[in-house]
Amino acid sequence: MERLYLWPANPAASLLALWMLSQVFFFFARAPVHEALKAVARLCGNVLRVLSRWCRGVAESVAKRDREMIVEMGKGDLEAKIGREFHRIEGAFAKELARYPDMHRKIDDLVTKVDADFQECASAAPSAPGWSEAVTAVAKMPPGGDGVVKKVLEEIHKSAVAGEKKALQDFREATAKRHKLLGGMAPAWKELTKLASETGHAVTAALESTKRIDGYMESYEKVREADDKAVRALGWSSTQLFVVSVLVLAVAIGGAFVNFNLIALPMSELVPSGNRIGGMPVATVAALVVVLMEVAAGVFAMEMLGITSFFPKLELLPRSRRRMILAVALGGLFLLACIEASLAVLREQIVASSNALRESLAGAPVVAETASSRIPVVGQAVLGFVLPWILAMVAVPLETMISTGGHIVLSLVAGIAGLLGMVSRVAGRGMRSLFEAARHVYDIYIVIPLQIEKVVGNGKRPEHAAMGLRPAEEPALPATGGARRGGALEARR
Amino acid sequence: MKRAFIALLCAGCTSGAQYAHAVVALVDVSGTYADQKAEVVNVIRKGLVPKLVPGDSLVVIRIDSESYTRDSVEASVKLDMRPSKANAQKLAFAQQLDQFARRPVRAAHTDIRGAMMLGAEYLREAGAGRRTMVVFSDLEEDLPRGVHRELSPDELAGVQVLAMNVKRLAADNADPAAYRQRLSSWEKQVTAHGAREFKIVLEPDKLAELLDQG
Repeated sequence: MERLYLWPANPAASLLALWMLSQVFFFFARAPVHEALKAVARLCGNVLRVLSRWCRGVAESVAKRDREMIVEMGKGDLEAKIGREFHRIEGAFAKELARYPDMHRKIDDLVTKVDADFQECASAAPSAPGWSEAVTAVAKMPPGGDGVVKKVLEEIHKSAVAGEKKALQDFREATAKRHKLLGGMAPAWKELTKLASETGHAVTAALESTKRIDGYMESYEKVREADDKAVRALGWSSTQLFVVSVLVLAVAIGGAFVNFNLIALPMSELVPSGNRIGGMPVATVAALVVVLMEVAAGVFAMEMLGITSFFPKLELLPRSRRRMILAVALGGLFLLACIEASLAVLREQIVASSNALRESLAGAPVVAETASSRIPVVGQAVLGFVLPWILAMVAVPLETMISTGGHIVLSLVAGIAGLLGMVSRVAGRGMRSLFEAARHVYDIYIVIPLQIEKVVGNGKRPEHAAMGLRPAEEPALPATGGARRGGALEARR
Repeated sequence: MKRAFIALLCAGCTSGAQYAHAVVALVDVSGTYADQKAEVVNVIRKGLVPKLVPGDSLVVIRIDSESYTRDSVEASVKLDMRPSKANAQKLAFAQQLDQFARRPVRAAHTDIRGAMMLGAEYLREAGAGRRTMVVFSDLEEDLPRGVHRELSPDELAGVQVLAMNVKRLAADNADPAAYRQRLSSWEKQVTAHGAREFKIVLEPDKLAELLDQG
């Protein structure tokens, strides 16, 4: 700074002279400086505006694509659900209808049997007409003096009583027979009730399926029409599924980590190579590969069970081949689980051996065998056997995460692009205001020459026109309305 | 494409030697330091051997009147990659060390540089990524008449030299500056011949820590 002093011995005078020179310079340079500031402001504003528009365009296009994807996904899901319900109905109806002739015949037989039994119950032998009245009349006759008549009457009475007894006996037997027949009808009635109940259940299930299909069809119609509510619901459902699958995957990764640590040490006994791959010992890589193989076998098993659908080609395979692949995948998993269980036991042995060695090197007396619990060994072996099966399940959340990940990624991109667009827009306006403020600051610095000019020129300011400033663009130092007008004009542009 | 993949695979596969740790322990059996032998063996047993992992190697060399001979090698081991076998090797090595500790050995002279040269050769041969030389001595060299030792400029290239349990001599107690001067001159000497670093270690625990840092 001191180098600029005109009179180094007198800094105050030098500073004053410099200030005055700068005032003169800035006063005459005012118009080009204002133009330059305006041009830069316009340039920055335009660039940021274009960027903002582009970002908004990207956000809109990505959001549109996301919406299309969600609608297609929703359609696909609902079609699959409806298809599954139709399959169920088809299966149920095929089964029920196949049973219908049998059932019908059975009901016919039962009804015929019941009818015959009923008829048989009704066919009891009627008592002889008037017989009881005759017997009563004979019984009421007064005993006469004739011994023969008396004897005849007694005989008649005896035979009447015997006949009544026999009739009563016959009646009882017939009643017992009818009761027996009616008792024999009970299973037939029960069977009929059961058949009716089964039919009722089948009809209820069919009606429920129909209701579900109705619901699905309603949702399908809404999705097909790209109804906002339905699309939002689908989007939220996708997000929910994504979060849940990520959480489950995180847990599975934790399990894989435990599994890996369980087999990494004993694997060095099986793969005793000193080489490394990417800085990792071969044994460690082998342990990692075993864990990944378990996941791969799980993916194939789930695919063949029809739970996931990673590979469309595999879905086209005949059932026999699918079963074969499933058997291979499950067999592989079983083998790997057995290997892991044995490695877990080996790990415990290695750890025990290392501990014994450490104690021995430290000078502790060597103990031949210590009484220790078998629980850690058994626990590790069980863990080694179970973890591969749990890892195999990872295919389900993995598929869900992949299928819903597209929506999440597109939503994020749309959000970021929208945010960027908003920031660009705000920054563009901010830049314009900043350069406007810079122009005002410039004028504030040369306020004295400007005021002098105003007084001398009597407010006419011919020199401004000579400098190429349009009246609307004049920086209004005394009155800032001009600048505001200029800003508004630019904003309108 | 195929060639590029194979090249990439080959580049990814490296020998494990560069990740191994080779350690040479030089044990002084001359003069007053010979009495420290049992203690030194104990430090090696407790501090050095447990730190070794499969693939590492350890050589124990005796510092006596003329150390630059194979006879000076008391014990050496290169651990197998199988942990179980490596443990067995460690046990056998510890037994060798015990025998060394029990055997009465006392040298008239102290050939430290000869032992260093021999140790450096073993370290180079091991080709390990980390190389450490642990010196158990009072660092007072006393070569016999006619014995000449000159380290080459890269004799200890990349080697970490740790001077463990440097015993103070009677004269050092009277003049500690002499002791410090001796250590300083050794530091200059080993670093001048390519050593990565030279450190004085007083406690066995610190030795284990420095070995871990490698």
